[in-house]
Amino acid sequence: MARAMAPPMTQRRKSIRRHLLIYAAITPYVVIAVFPIYWMAITAFKQDPDLYRMEHFPFWFNLAPTLRNFKILFYQTHYGDWIWNTFTISAWVALITLVTAVPAGYALARLKLPGAENTGIAIFLTYLVPPIILFLPLSRIVAELGLQDSWWALVVVYPTFTIPFCTWLLMGFFKTVPMEIEEAARVDGCGQAGAFLRVILPISLPGVLTSVIFAFTLSMQDFLYGLAFVSPGDQKPVPVGVPTELIRGDIYYWGSLMGAALLVGLPVAILYNFFLDRFIQGITGGIGK
Amino acid sequence: MTGSSLHGGPDPMARAAVVSVPARAAERPWLTHGARRLMFGYTLLAPAALYVLLLVGAPFLFSLYLAVSDANVGEPIAHFVGLENFKAALEMDVFWISLRNSVVFLVVAAVLKSLLGTSLAFLLLQDFKGKKLIRGLVVIPFTLPIAISVLSWKWMYDSQFSVINWVLSRMGLIGQFGTEGWPIWLGDPKLALVACILVNVWRTFPFSAIVLLAGFTSVPVEVIDAAKVDGCSFFQRFRHVVVPMIFPILMIGFLFDTVFTLSDLSVVYLLTQGGPANATKILPVLAYQIGIQAGSLGRGAAIALFLVPLLIPALILVLRNLKRREY
Repeated sequence: MARAMAPPMTQRRKSIRRHLLIYAAITPYVVIAVFPIYWMAITAFKQDPDLYRMEHFPFWFNLAPTLRNFKILFYQTHYGDWIWNTFTISAWVALITLVTAVPAGYALARLKLPGAENTGIAIFLTYLVPPIILFLPLSRIVAELGLQDSWWALVVVYPTFTIPFCTWLLMGFFKTVPMEIEEAARVDGCGQAGAFLRVILPISLPGVLTSVIFAFTLSMQDFLYGLAFVSPGDQKPVPVGVPTELIRGDIYYWGSLMGAALLVGLPVAILYNFFLDRFIQGITGGIGK
Repeated sequence: MTGSSLHGGPDPMARAAVVSVPARAAERPWLTHGARRLMFGYTLLAPAALYVLLLVGAPFLFSLYLAVSDANVGEPIAHFVGLENFKAALEMDVFWISLRNSVVFLVVAAVLKSLLGTSLAFLLLQDFKGKKLIRGLVVIPFTLPIAISVLSWKWMYDSQFSVINWVLSRMGLIGQFGTEGWPIWLGDPKLALVACILVNVWRTFPFSAIVLLAGFTSVPVEVIDAAKVDGCSFFQRFRHVVVPMIFPILMIGFLFDTVFTLSDLSVVYLLTQGGPANATKILPVLAYQIGIQAGSLGRGAAIALFLVPLLIPALILVLRNLKRREY
């Protein structure tokens, strides 16, 4: 009996040992990756005296947790405005991106335009032109449009990186929709535009939604444009407002700062997390499918 | 090939065209089906292409123009000054410091993140319980908006209440607060650049790992098995089978990272603004300070353009690898 049990037991033991080894090896990476977020979270809920005592054990609460830091954020700063700005900017950027990138991605993937592949690559490469080269000329353009010092400047500027990325993404997406579906629609009497609107677009909804997410998350990664183009305190998006408005001279309100960072940063990070593989597929050209 | 393919042939699109010629062609008989398809295609492409041309293409050319002018924030009229701005930049000590810091930053960060990224990718290649969750946790640095995560680091690098120092001090690796042995990460010229590089490494090592992982998983198991049957050792398989197969994807990941690391201003700007005593000044920070804060658009544009020679090899390599994706 005991002998019959032996092989599965050692098998299990082996598997447990393997797991323990892997967990032991990967724990440092997880700690390094997550600690700054944990540190944000614990700081945000600490009372000030708890933050500035060197003899305290810093990784847990020594005084009762508090929501005071968040109250300061919403009652004494423009934090509420920034959240609102961030959402409206992202909504506009997503809209502009969809209206331009969906048709372009479709045209490049499906309509056999001469030089379509090269045009697609050219559009995608503009994603790699860094903002640091464009921000000075764009500041002039933004001023000419009368948009300086308003978040509308960012609505105009952010599509310069979301359109190239999403066009490329959608181009890959439309290529995977079988040609037969479109042909069938045409046989049934749809024109070119009809086939696109009534047949291709609905089945491509996941790709379209992914583009919306990227329009949002990529906009959140910007700092330079927001810093350079929007100076009034109530016009900034969160990633620009928090570091520029909440730090005054040498005085840091670390509790509120970390609360502000956490409250918006964490949901964005989690959302982006779900779409990270698509992002990697996008930039590597779909090789790693 | 567009017009003539209308009459059949091996092109599958042409066959589709024959099928769908009906009713509508009669409305505008002077347009062939192919021509209408092209018109439709270019109409769909136009908005995106125009947006990119007007707000990326034109500004890029405009920045070349700014760089050879004496454009200033206050004065609307700019004059041509030739290569004056580039010459002035080359004569600034701080330009050379920034260039050196940029290159050091790029190279040191690249080495560290490839080491961390590769080892992490190998771990994530294993099969184990809870892998999805762990992967999700490990990539958080990359998905968190950069300006936001830098704030957390700024707090961890605090001159007095640094949690890093608290730990190191309790472990006996550094001295007490107020003594020589207490590192002031962002205030010490010797440490500040290291501190900035660490933040970049922290943020991008998950990206390196995920790109590598995508590469590894794209290698078909059959190919590995075939190499095993042929008697290749693990390192031979890695060196002669896996690496060549994932090379394009590696290049693209590497080059994306180069472009973003070289041109990113947020980490340094938010941590140190280039200080202390220019110890962390990199080209993007210098371009911002001269172009926006000092209002000298021409000179700022010229400094930013010094990044282009560093970026062009990256762009060319990306281009070549993207073209290969068809096969």
